[in-house]
Amino acid sequence: MSLPASRRRGIHLSLLLHFTRQSLVDRYAGSVLGALWAFIMPLVMILIFVFVFSKIMGGRLGEVSPALGEYGYSIYLVSGILGWNAFSNTVTRMSSVYLERAAVIARVDLPLVQLPLFIPLTEVLIFAVSFSFFIGFLLLLGHGPGPEYIWLPLILAVQMLLAWSLGFICAVLSVLLRDVRELVAVAMQLWFWLTPLVYVMGILPQWLQSLMLLNPMVPIVNSWRDVVLYQQAPSLVGLGAVALLAMLLLGLGLLLFRRVEAELRDLL
Amino acid sequence: MAMQNMKHSATDEEHPVLDVVGLTKSFRIYDRPVDRLKALLTGRCYHREYRALDDVSFTLQPGETLGVLGRNGAGKSTLLKMLNRVTLPDQGRIHCDGRITALLELGTGFDPALSGRQNIVNNGLMIGMSKMEIVAVQAQIIEFCELGEHLDQPLRGYSSGMVVRLAFAIAIHSGAHCFLIDEALSVGDGHFQQKCIAKIREFQAAGGAIVFVSHDLNAVKMICDRVLVLHDGRVIHNGAPDDGVNLYNQLMAAQACELPASSHNQKGFGSGEARILSAQVTDTHQPRQQFSAGEVACFRFQLQAEQVLEDLTLGIMIRDRFGQDIFGTNSCLLGYPLALRAVQPLQVEMTLPLELAPGKYTLTAALHAGDNHADQCYHWCDNLLQFEVAGIHGPVFAGVCRLPVELSVHNTEPLHNARLPEG
Repeated sequence: MSLPASRRRGIHLSLLLHFTRQSLVDRYAGSVLGALWAFIMPLVMILIFVFVFSKIMGGRLGEVSPALGEYGYSIYLVSGILGWNAFSNTVTRMSSVYLERAAVIARVDLPLVQLPLFIPLTEVLIFAVSFSFFIGFLLLLGHGPGPEYIWLPLILAVQMLLAWSLGFICAVLSVLLRDVRELVAVAMQLWFWLTPLVYVMGILPQWLQSLMLLNPMVPIVNSWRDVVLYQQAPSLVGLGAVALLAMLLLGLGLLLFRRVEAELRDLL
Repeated sequence: MAMQNMKHSATDEEHPVLDVVGLTKSFRIYDRPVDRLKALLTGRCYHREYRALDDVSFTLQPGETLGVLGRNGAGKSTLLKMLNRVTLPDQGRIHCDGRITALLELGTGFDPALSGRQNIVNNGLMIGMSKMEIVAVQAQIIEFCELGEHLDQPLRGYSSGMVVRLAFAIAIHSGAHCFLIDEALSVGDGHFQQKCIAKIREFQAAGGAIVFVSHDLNAVKMICDRVLVLHDGRVIHNGAPDDGVNLYNQLMAAQACELPASSHNQKGFGSGEARILSAQVTDTHQPRQQFSAGEVACFRFQLQAEQVLEDLTLGIMIRDRFGQDIFGTNSCLLGYPLALRAVQPLQVEMTLPLELAPGKYTLTAALHAGDNHADQCYHWCDNLLQFEVAGIHGPVFAGVCRLPVELSVHNTEPLHNARLPEG
């Protein structure tokens, strides 16, 4: 068993903010719109979903929430997908974080556990801006925020904790075996369709619906919809179970990391 | 400064800046990438071990500079990486009072799209400074790196020398207590190199410790108080720089012997009536690749002919690392016509004092007829041998070579008539 070479210093908050800034602002250095590009993509997505899908599919899926009429499906879609995007981007980006920054990690003593924190931070920021835009649209429809929005930070926190734990494990494994990075991309695609994001749970056969209970993203997506679409408090049992699972995964990830850190650093 | 420094060292004698005990490191080599995962999951052994460092210990007192020498693969980089804490040891520990900053690869974390000024902050954060610390020394960094108006331009427009200047300026102002330098000083122009050396001296005087890894033996002798020689991951010398450099030279010479001389035979071109079978560079006794300027080197060649050759000339040309011809001569010009009988090998030695500036050189040799190779060239071998001049024996000189100079001084009558025009 290896002995620690030194006290590893904690990460500076300023370094974390620097990385966040780098992935949000510096990435677009030299472009006219700059950091706006980071937000344009999610905003375009919302616009497409709201204005295109409401016209095409809105009529057929009107039963989602009769009060909202043709926009019901759009809200159903966007309320789930905004959260999903933050989740999926975090896991995907985290899984390659060590490989992408190998050049720096191999030369500068960076705390590897905290280093990837800038990714969920970035994604939360993008999510916050996109979600504000979404709220604006909801206000236009007269379906604006109520007191149940107090639950949103909790849902976000549980979701990002899960993303962080999964992403961290993938990040460690992808250094040991490069295939993991590609595998994650494929898995996230599958997971997207195994989660009721674009379809309604009710269209699935009963056996598949009960199988869906194993998908930790189902309670999360349902919670987003509970608050945004149905304007009610989310099911805390589901959220609690996901939080527990996330902590378990995090513990597992940290154990794995401690076991392979020396080798991991040699490989970068 | 000197007084302050002495006081400093006296009180800290018992507290080394850097204390390294029993560092050992093996790398696991897997034949296939999937074996690594199998080993991880099953706990079984699928690898071969390669021991890079074996029980390496040393301490570094405040103000002390330690040179690390060793052949390629001796473990120097692994040691530096471990001191820099980017590689973890299997056994042993490193204790440092304060921050260790590496000048290993300058400009790590630089973003080419950002300006020099923004990169000061980026790089500073990356090497462990806080925002406050960076702000405090920013003005000094900007002054030291002498980038002027370029400072607000994107880094991608910088010359490599400018990037190095910026990186060095940040590193030296980072408030480190121990500094790791790896060949980094060999870049940049002369003016800046001198500035760096002066700054490093200042850092040493203030009680900072330095670990210096370089193949530039001259620089090692000049800067280091002590030299550590690594061989196959073990410390085989930890003491005076001169002894360390000599030991290192021996190691390099041993390596030179290991290279089979016959491998040179395949090289070269020519009509082939006569060939250079092998060549070797030695001092007066044994093979060597490193010399100090002024030391005598002997170039020894084995020649052989297919047929009787009455008019044979052996020529040599010493070239520097830019491929410039520095000095050449041949046996004909030296007044020794050679002749070869068929199959009977001949050994020819050329002995000369290497009155050359420190640096790396190659020796090209050729066999031809007459006093130049233009008419009939039998065998021509480019870069047949390599050697290095490191350090200077005797008076220091400037330029590429040391010409023999005789200085004489005479008392003369004052010159009354030849007055210099005034103004």
